Amino acid sequence: MSAPSGDHAAALAALASELGADAVREAGPGDLVDGVAPFAVVRPADAEQARRAVAIAVRGGIALVASGLGRHLSIGAPPRHLGLLLRMDRVDRVVEHHAADMTVTVEAGCTLAALDERLRRAGQWLPLDPPAPAETTVGGLVAANLAGPLRASQGGVRDLLLGIETVSGEGVVVRGGGRVVKNVAGYDLPRLHVGALGSLGVVLAATFKTVPVPPGEGAVEVEVASPREACDLALALRDAFEPAWLELVAEAGGPATRVVFGCAGLPPEVACGLLRARTETEARGHRAVEVEDATALRARLAEFPLREAAAILRVSTLPDRTGLALESLARAARDCGVRAPLSAQVASGIARAAIADAVAVAPVLRALRARREDPDAAVVVERASAEVKPRLVGDADPWGDPGESLALVRGVKRALDPGGILSPGRLPGGV
Amino acid sequence: MATGILARRLRALVGDDGVVDADDVLLVYECDGYTLERAAPELVVLPRTPAETAAVVRLLAEERVAFVPRGAGTGLSGGTLPLAAPVMVCTSRLREIESIDLRNRRLVAQAGVVNSWVTRAVQGDRLLYAPDPSSQTACTIGGNVAENSGGPHTLKYGVTVNHVLGVELVLPSGEVVRLGGAVEDRPGPDLVGFVVGSEGTLGITTRATLRLVRAPEAVRTLLAIFDSVDAASEAVSDVIASGIVPAALEMMDRLVLQAVEQAFSAGFPADAGAVLLVELDGPAAGLEEQAEAVSAVCRRNGSREIRVARDEAERALLWKARKRAFGAVGRLAPNYCTQDGVVPRSRLPEIVRAIAATAERHRLRIGNLLHAGDGNIHPVILFDERDADEVRRVIEAGHEILAACVALGGSLSGEHGIGVEKIGQMPLLFSPDDLLAMTRLKAVFDPEGRANPHKVVPDAKVCVEARAPRRQAAM
Repeated sequence: MSAPSGDHAAALAALASELGADAVREAGPGDLVDGVAPFAVVRPADAEQARRAVAIAVRGGIALVASGLGRHLSIGAPPRHLGLLLRMDRVDRVVEHHAADMTVTVEAGCTLAALDERLRRAGQWLPLDPPAPAETTVGGLVAANLAGPLRASQGGVRDLLLGIETVSGEGVVVRGGGRVVKNVAGYDLPRLHVGALGSLGVVLAATFKTVPVPPGEGAVEVEVASPREACDLALALRDAFEPAWLELVAEAGGPATRVVFGCAGLPPEVACGLLRARTETEARGHRAVEVEDATALRARLAEFPLREAAAILRVSTLPDRTGLALESLARAARDCGVRAPLSAQVASGIARAAIADAVAVAPVLRALRARREDPDAAVVVERASAEVKPRLVGDADPWGDPGESLALVRGVKRALDPGGILSPGRLPGGV
Repeated sequence: MATGILARRLRALVGDDGVVDADDVLLVYECDGYTLERAAPELVVLPRTPAETAAVVRLLAEERVAFVPRGAGTGLSGGTLPLAAPVMVCTSRLREIESIDLRNRRLVAQAGVVNSWVTRAVQGDRLLYAPDPSSQTACTIGGNVAENSGGPHTLKYGVTVNHVLGVELVLPSGEVVRLGGAVEDRPGPDLVGFVVGSEGTLGITTRATLRLVRAPEAVRTLLAIFDSVDAASEAVSDVIASGIVPAALEMMDRLVLQAVEQAFSAGFPADAGAVLLVELDGPAAGLEEQAEAVSAVCRRNGSREIRVARDEAERALLWKARKRAFGAVGRLAPNYCTQDGVVPRSRLPEIVRAIAATAERHRLRIGNLLHAGDGNIHPVILFDERDADEVRRVIEAGHEILAACVALGGSLSGEHGIGVEKIGQMPLLFSPDDLLAMTRLKAVFDPEGRANPHKVVPDAKVCVEARAPRRQAAM
């Protein structure tokens, strides 16, 4: 790591004087983002310090990446430049939970586990269950558009986010939405930040809709011969009873695939859901096994994207093509000589493969994209290790074709971050 | 370009019957459901297809003509009022449901498809389109996308944006972009979510990919009569606290109940202070228990009478009072206008008291229809438009009520939009920096400011003065 240049030294001095010396340190080897080294790490104590840190970066034209606990930083393309790593984990207050209004306003650095603990005191939760809730912050949840199995019934971040407070790329606080569950005043800024990887603003705080924790949860598992059969069965189960979650798992990379059908609600609802799932399964000549601890199983299934692997490939497609997507992933991996455990969320049309071998990631990706078995599908590298990222160029770009909205996304980026200092290059199309 | 030449060139694109330029017919387009202000466009263009819509917008771009998009004209905040926009582009002839994918629960509708047609097209397959604004037999999908429309069942199911997966947008340049689509979770920022609710200021939506949901297996509807709004509000809080999320949770106050009673005898006691209409839906298993739990909560909060619908006919009867309430209130005075504000749900008693104080201060009669479950209030202000002083007081009262909503932590609009009606009050809710960000984002889509100018985000160029309140409103 080279010594800070003149500009860097000036920025470091400004940060130390405005935020206090304990909030700033020179970056070390553990602070890399996709292999790109910042020169300093800033850890503001509160939202106002975070705003000031961004403002200092703006003045110095210094690129920054905001992060919570760094658990999801391997999502996206590597930053084109990086000066500061802005660690938001100390900006972590639950500002207010109005249980009666079913809303919560929480700062970006609060972990989902801490938030959950707080909400459960009032019998509520934020029904989003991405992996590693103890290491996932609210800011990361929004920026990376994280979700888990509950996405099948509860929607994603965009469906639960009511309001947002950000610092723009000009160092200015910009708010959108509000703190009420129904609101159409002004443009919907909150949704713009969902999945934007912090490139349109550093999230300071967000307001979400909360819901009552369902009193019961149950699940059944069915093993079938292939991903496509599993997908067909899963959709039949969905027609028999609206599931809370609906997952496919093929640990060995297929063909044997497990369908996991989860339902939630009052005990009689859960009982009814499980009975119908069993009846439908047996009518198709399969055997349904009741899961002992459905909630624990759901949490385990949610961890798939964070399992040990060189990369997680994701195919987004239509629900009834998730089986096909899993088979395509399995075949591409097999052709490249790697083993790839598979997982899918049928209701939202997401299929994932964990590729163990760093060298195989780009070839598997190219093979998938070249075949285009499903023209509507988006094939992306959801996460990849720093070792893999440099190989993901050209037709192995992590995002693939940015699509026809690229010009608008570029425009939106310029509108909110004219200097291009927020997570530059991390979005599709190098935005 | 002279209007006559423009009309000729537009006719060449959309057919002779696709351009309206006769003054008497243009009058139809001088306002939407917000009748406070009126301004007829110079021309109305009614393209027949998404492609024709794009061709029309391209021509307008070449000629640098500003335009206002319009669906069925049921909007309630003046979003389709032409301000410095000579041409109105009406998408009401884009009436095709282009595809239905039952298995994946997707439907692609053109902008002019009427909201209720969508559910009608799929209800035989036990699916439905969840957003259900009360104008749903007239309002269009294009208009719903523009306004991010709600309805009584949004408490459980969400509003339009939660059910729109993709839009085809004709940008003001005439360029067509498809954002999102049948496949969810495309990489990058959620532009679909940004376009929904942008009130036609970013371009014209010509197609939308909609999410369908499973029709509930069973429904329980009950109506509980209370002595006061406070007691009914407490019951609402307790229902929510009990962990039940009803599909709908509606409230009417005394003035509305009296109007309903006068209009058609629903059998409400003359001294009833508030009525709650609660609808629960889902799998039949467990629904009865939930209905009993809600009844118990209502009784505990002093409900003197609870009516439970036992079949579809009885359910329709219970909804009748709610659905006909506007018409009933309309009989009490020559004119009425409806406001749309939001408060955090637990502040309902406070906002209802504030509304009562406002009514007294301005010597007005104000009834309240409330989407109580999500804190969305619709105060109905009675007046006589021949009384200029009363009209002035009505406008002031409306502003005061919205300001009170914001002061209680709420918002200026829950489902009607900002349009021209509330644009002057946007600074109550947003800082200059917030508004500047919105202005810049608008410019990304519409650098020349030709799509529905002077709406949503206030600018210094046009001062929209409220002159007379609108007479009617439906939710």
